[in-house]
Amino acid sequence: MEGFLGGLAILIDPWVMFMVFLGTVLGIFVGALPGISGSTTIALMLPMTIAMGPIPAICFLGAIYCAANFGGSITAIMVNAPGDPSASATALEGYKMAEKGQAGLALGMSAVSSAIGGIFSIIVLIIAAPLLARAAYSFGPPEYFALAVFGLSMCAAIGGDSAVKNLIAAALGVLIATVGMDLTTGIERFAFGIDELADGIKFVPVLIGLFAVGEMLDQVVRRAEKAKIIAMDAARVPGMAEFRKCNRAIWIGSGIGTFIGALPALGATTAALIGYNETRRWSKHKEEFGKGSIEGVAGPEAANNAAVGGSMVPTLALGIPGSATTAIILAGLIVQGVRPGPHLFTEQPTLLYAVFASMLAANLFYLGLGLYMAKFFARISLVPPAILWPSVFVLSIIGAYGPDQSMGDVVIMLVAGVVGFLFRRTGFSPAPLIMGLVLGGKMEETLKQSLIIFGDDVGMFATRPIAMTLLCITAVGLLWPLIARFWRMR
Amino acid sequence: MRPARNPNHAIAASIAAVALAAIAATFTFDPVPPGLPGLGAVEFPRLVSAILLLLALILGLTAAAPPSEEDAPRISSRAWLIFALCLGFLPLLEVIGMIPTIPIFLVVVGLLWGGTAWRTLALSALGMGIAIWLVFVKIFRLTLPKGWLVTMLGF
Repeated sequence: MEGFLGGLAILIDPWVMFMVFLGTVLGIFVGALPGISGSTTIALMLPMTIAMGPIPAICFLGAIYCAANFGGSITAIMVNAPGDPSASATALEGYKMAEKGQAGLALGMSAVSSAIGGIFSIIVLIIAAPLLARAAYSFGPPEYFALAVFGLSMCAAIGGDSAVKNLIAAALGVLIATVGMDLTTGIERFAFGIDELADGIKFVPVLIGLFAVGEMLDQVVRRAEKAKIIAMDAARVPGMAEFRKCNRAIWIGSGIGTFIGALPALGATTAALIGYNETRRWSKHKEEFGKGSIEGVAGPEAANNAAVGGSMVPTLALGIPGSATTAIILAGLIVQGVRPGPHLFTEQPTLLYAVFASMLAANLFYLGLGLYMAKFFARISLVPPAILWPSVFVLSIIGAYGPDQSMGDVVIMLVAGVVGFLFRRTGFSPAPLIMGLVLGGKMEETLKQSLIIFGDDVGMFATRPIAMTLLCITAVGLLWPLIARFWRMR
Repeated sequence: MRPARNPNHAIAASIAAVALAAIAATFTFDPVPPGLPGLGAVEFPRLVSAILLLLALILGLTAAAPPSEEDAPRISSRAWLIFALCLGFLPLLEVIGMIPTIPIFLVVVGLLWGGTAWRTLALSALGMGIAIWLVFVKIFRLTLPKGWLVTMLGF
């Protein structure tokens, strides 16, 4: 409680509060821009946060993450073009409502259910993260290694074309993480005499390249037309009757979103899609789905915003990212010199609770902004792609150059951009690669420490129940398609 | 008519080539100093590369559906030109510097992209250039590359 009050006290600092507000506005803004997701923006903003100091930086990035999910719903409802992938389920019913002349009600319900889902998950985060961290105190290197393997195996379900492609991307990320000097032996690996590679591949240029430049190059090929917007009056707060109708959908979405978010690798998009399906399954008005159901807006919106708080649980308590976006935030924390994990709760409780408090504040900010400024934000989708995407490229160049003022980082960013573009064209998702890149170092370090503890005997993993359970779950999860096929054949 | 080739086979072959190249590269690493306990510098990258090779094999052997036309639309000559301009950003920056390169790039790429009047593009490019100068140079105190021509002219 003392820590939480300390976090609230930090939030009173006008500079931190301003960064949260700015992050919220920026999050809604970019969330509403089709093609630019919260993860792209956080990757782009990462270099600018380096000079801010850890607390304002993380509060700023956390606010963008919270608000971008909501911002995506605005264009999903008004233009049928989800601004953020997590709003794709909202478009199914939201746009139908807008066509029926209920755009204001759909936006109002989206804002309210998003805020409820978001706040619910942050309360869960405040309670669960310290408990998980306390449990993780008994974790040694073998458990952390098993946890990292489990987190990477979850990438199989992240999206993209196939599970195998996701695992390939994750393995590539781990391999890239080995570039540079090996910390235990001091031997240079895969540097090929290039100075920029000797210290390892930096997170910032790779993140910007994969997400922002990769997306920009993809948009060049697609050359999306300017969006057409549906007319509306203003977002309106849903009445009691509408709340009563959506009550169940909001709580189903909030629960599912928090749970899915807390699983490593799975984020808001998966939560929203499952939230939509479950809302429909448990609805008393199934016949309205597909024709503009308000429950079909409330459920996925509560779910995708609840996933935000959920995904922060393993990120902060264990240092294992709960989603692609939290992998980028984790990279941001590491760049700031903060090492997430259980010790964070004893060493820097104020930072943690400032993050929690800022996320709560961001939810309240976007509730207000969403209800009163949705009409303005909806117009963001009218920014011509010919202005938007070249500007993204320019900001990416500056973002990669900025932290170390090195043109080598710009070249790395461009190479990562080409990889991101090729990934998109060949059915790969860049998210597992980022997970692999962020977790790769920890994985190798903990494996090495484990083998030293075990005297180089891999079989000793069997003597550690938590590590063994996690490795068994991972093996069953990865082999499940084969097991299921064998079961069917019997 | 011959059936269309599944690009996943080529993708699998490329991934396998990367994995094999990584394994080969580990043989060029300096030797580990004697007496160090645990894993050395080569084992972990080799293990990851071997897993990558195995996954590439699975991708090649399983008949995964090829990416659709929607996932991979044809790259038009205009798109290639924009890619070339993106690549040309760096050499131009070396000559005239970051700030002058930005509006030129934004207007030329914007015109190639199409659908927006050149006046709008020019105004937004100018605004972007000024905003970047204000935020990064004046507020964040970032030293952006000036370019040899600008330096030679004494700006």
